Amino acid sequence: MPFLEAHNVSKNFGGVQALKDVSLDLPESAVLGLIGPNGSGKSTLLNVIAGVEKPTSGIVKLDGKRIDNLRTNRIIRYGLAKTHQIPKPFSNMTARENLAVAVLYGRRNIHSPRFALEEADRILSMVRMGSRKDALADSLTVQEKKRLELARAIATGASILLLDEVFAGLSPEELKDSIQLFKKLHEELHCSALVVEHVMRAVLSLSQKVMVLEEGRVIATGSPDEIVHDEKVIQAYLGSKNPAT
Amino acid sequence: MVAAELIVTDLAFGLMLGCVFSVVAHGLNMIWGVVKVVNIAHGEFIMLGAYGAYFLNLFAGLTPLETAPVDAAIGLLVGYAFYYAFLHRELRNKETITLQSEMVTLAATFGLSLFVSNLAIILFTGNPVGVNYNPGTLQFGYVRVPLAALYVAILSVLIIMGTWLFLERTFIGSAIRAYAQDVTATELVGANPAKVASLATALGFAVTMAGGALLTVWIPVGINPLMGALYAPISFVIVVLGGPGKMWGSLVGGLTLGVVIDLLQAFTTAQIAYAAAFLILIPVLVFRPEGLLK
Amino acid sequence: MKIEKPGLTLYGLCIVMALLASAALLLGVAVSSILLLLLIYAALAYSINFITGMMGYVDFGHVLFMAIGSYALATLVSYYGANPLLGVGLGALLGLVFALGIGLVILRFRGVYFAIATVVLVLAAYNIVLQFPQLGAGGEIIFNLTFQPLATYFTIWTIVLIEIVLTYYVNRSRIGFGIRAIKNEEDAASSVGVSPRTLKLTGYMLGGLFGGAAGAVYAWSISGVTAGPAFDFTFSLLMLAMIIIGGVGTSIGPLLGAVVVYIPSYFLLTTVAQAQPLMIGLLVIIMALFLPDGIVGLLRRSNQRLRLVLE
Repeated sequence: MPFLEAHNVSKNFGGVQALKDVSLDLPESAVLGLIGPNGSGKSTLLNVIAGVEKPTSGIVKLDGKRIDNLRTNRIIRYGLAKTHQIPKPFSNMTARENLAVAVLYGRRNIHSPRFALEEADRILSMVRMGSRKDALADSLTVQEKKRLELARAIATGASILLLDEVFAGLSPEELKDSIQLFKKLHEELHCSALVVEHVMRAVLSLSQKVMVLEEGRVIATGSPDEIVHDEKVIQAYLGSKNPAT
Repeated sequence: MVAAELIVTDLAFGLMLGCVFSVVAHGLNMIWGVVKVVNIAHGEFIMLGAYGAYFLNLFAGLTPLETAPVDAAIGLLVGYAFYYAFLHRELRNKETITLQSEMVTLAATFGLSLFVSNLAIILFTGNPVGVNYNPGTLQFGYVRVPLAALYVAILSVLIIMGTWLFLERTFIGSAIRAYAQDVTATELVGANPAKVASLATALGFAVTMAGGALLTVWIPVGINPLMGALYAPISFVIVVLGGPGKMWGSLVGGLTLGVVIDLLQAFTTAQIAYAAAFLILIPVLVFRPEGLLK
Repeated sequence: MKIEKPGLTLYGLCIVMALLASAALLLGVAVSSILLLLLIYAALAYSINFITGMMGYVDFGHVLFMAIGSYALATLVSYYGANPLLGVGLGALLGLVFALGIGLVILRFRGVYFAIATVVLVLAAYNIVLQFPQLGAGGEIIFNLTFQPLATYFTIWTIVLIEIVLTYYVNRSRIGFGIRAIKNEEDAASSVGVSPRTLKLTGYMLGGLFGGAAGAVYAWSISGVTAGPAFDFTFSLLMLAMIIIGGVGTSIGPLLGAVVVYIPSYFLLTTVAQAQPLMIGLLVIIMALFLPDGIVGLLRRSNQRLRLVLE
C-alpha cells in the first residue's frame, strides 16, 4: 500500500488552473522526481500536499488518512515536511537553534530544549554543517542556507520529504557533493522523498521514478530512462538536446 | 422634509470633509504604496503643514490655499531628508522590504513622532491656534456651503488627480510605479532605485504638508502640536480602506470615512461616530485586505 | 516542561529585586513612591515585551490593557468598596479576557497592519468609554482609600518579579523557541510544526494579563482613573520605548529600559516637561536605526563573556 497518495488533485487560482487532475503515489522509502517547465505547477503540487494551499478538488492521503484539509503545522505531525524553494531560515537564530525548533515542534513533539539542541547538533553534522552550528542563519552562504532547509525538514522527524529545488544554483562540484550527501541521507533515514528539480542530473540520478508536469497536467510517468526517451517529454520540456549532459 | 434637508446637508459636509481627509492621507498612501514603509510620524507632518499655514497667515497674510504650495515645497525637502536619514539604510540593495526592516522603520518613525510632537510643544506651546479664512458661503438649493470648504475639497481632488496623472503619464512616474511593483524592475526601466524611492517619499511629504495646510480650514481653533495623534490614525484607516498604492484609493477611503462620520454624528454622538469610523478598519482587514478598490 | 538551571541573568535580576524590596522597607515612604512608579513602568515594559519584544508584533495600543485594568480596579473599589487587591486580580483577568477576544481577530494581521489595528482599537475604546456614565462618561472615577504605599508597592513588586521569572523561563523553554521562530519567519515556523495561532495568542494574552494588572496598580497608586489620561497613547509609546531602548525580547531589557526612561524623567519633569519625551524620541530613533537590540545588544557585542551571560 502506498504511503503518500494524491488522487485527482486540482487547484485553481482565480481563473487559472494550476493543477488539473494530478494523481501520484509515493511508496515507502522511494524517491519520486517531479520535473516540468517553469509554471507547470510543480511547486503548487508540493504546496497542496504540504498543506500550504488547499486543493480546489481532489484528495491527499498519508498512510490512508486524509490530510488535504489540515494545516501545515498539523501535517508535520504525520511525518511530512517540505523545504522552501527560496530558503526561509530563522535569520536571527543560530543554525542549531533553527533545527532545534523543528525538533521541538516536529513529529516527535519533544519538550526539552536541551535535548532538541543536542539532536540539532547531530543532524547538522549529518549534513556536514557541524562546524557552522553556532553561526547565525542570516550569515550562512546560499548553499548553506539550502542545506539548512533540508536539515530542518529532516529535524522535524519527517519520513516523507518534499524537496523544492534544493539542488538549484549550485556549482558542479557542490552539486556532486549534494547528490552524494542526499543518497547517503536517504539510506540512513529510510525516508521517501518527492523531489522537484530543474537540475536534470540530480533528478535522474536520485529518483526511481520520474513524473513530468506540463501546464498542470501529468504528461508522463516512468523510470528516468523511460522519461529521457519519451517523445512527449522531449517535445514539451527537454527540447531536442540530450538532457543527461 | 426637514430630516431630508439635514441628511443632504450632512452628506454634503461629509463629502467635503472626506475630500480633505483624502488629501491628508494621500501622502501616507504614496509612501506606503511605493516604498512599503508606514510613517508613524505622518500625523506630525500634517501638524507641521498646519502650522505652516498658521504662520504664513500670521506673518504674510497668506490664505491656507496659498500656503499649500509653499508647504509642498518645504515637504519635498523634508521628504528627501527623511528618506536618507530613516529609510535609505534599510531599503537599499533590497528587493522586498523584510519584516525586520519593517520593524526598524516602524520603531524609528515612532521615535520621530515623539520627538517632533514634543519639540513642537516647546516651540509653539500647547495652546491651540487657528487661521481665519472665510471667503463667504454658497447656496445650493437649501444647502448652504462655506466656500472655503468647497475650495479645499476641489483642490484636494485636484491634488490627488495630479499625482495620479504624474504616475500614469510621465517617465519618472512609470519608474515609480515600477519600483512599487518590483524594485529590480526599476533598474530595467533605466532608473536608479534610490532616486526613485527618495522622490516618491519626497512627493508623499509634499502632499502631506500641503494637506495639513488645507486641513486648517476645517479646524478654525484646532491647530496644536498633538493634532497628529488624531489625523495619523484617520490616515491609516483611509489608506487601508482604499488599498495602499492606489492613488484613487485615498479618495475612496477619505470619502467613506467623511460620510460615515458626518452621517453618524447626525444620529448619535460624535464619539460613537469616530469609534465606528475607526472600527471599520477591522472588518475591512479581515474580509478585504487589499482594500475596497479592486 | 523541563526546568533548566537558571543562569547569571536571573540571579542578577533577583538581586536587583531584593534591593528594591529592602529599599522600600528601609528608606520609607518617600523613596518607595519614587520606586513605585519605576516598578509600574517596569511591569508595563515586561507586559508589552511578551507581545512586541518576543513575537515582533508592534503593539502601539498596549495602553488599552492598562486602561482596562485601571477601570476594573476603580469601578470595583469605588462602587463596591472592594479590597484593591481584588481590583488588581480583576484587572488582570479582564486584560486576559480582552486579549483573547481581540487577539483572535487582530493577530491574523501581520506587520504594520497589526500595528495600525492596535492604534484604532484604543481610539475606538476611548470613544466608547465616554458613552458610559458608569465608567465616568469621560470624567473621572475617584476613590478614597487610606494611604497604603507599602501594600501598593509590594503588589507591583510581586507582579514584576513574576514577569521577570516568567519571561526568563519562557525564553528558554520550548514555547520560547517557537515564539522566536515566529518572530523570525512565521511561514517557515508553521512549516516545521509550530502553530503560530496558538503561540501568538498565548503571548498576546500574557501581555494583556500583566498590562491589566499593572494598569490596576497604577489606578490604585493615583486613587482613581480619568478617561483621557487612561487612554493616553503616551503610555503605549513609553512602554515601546522602554523595550526598544533596553533590548526587545530579553528578560533584562525591559527593566534596563524602564530605568533609562524613568530616572531622567523624574529629574527633568521639574525643568521642562517636554524634555523627557523629546530625549526618549531621539534615543528611540538612534536605537532603532543603529542598535536594534538595544542596550542589551550593545553590551553583548562589546564583550564575549556578556554575550553568553546576558539573556
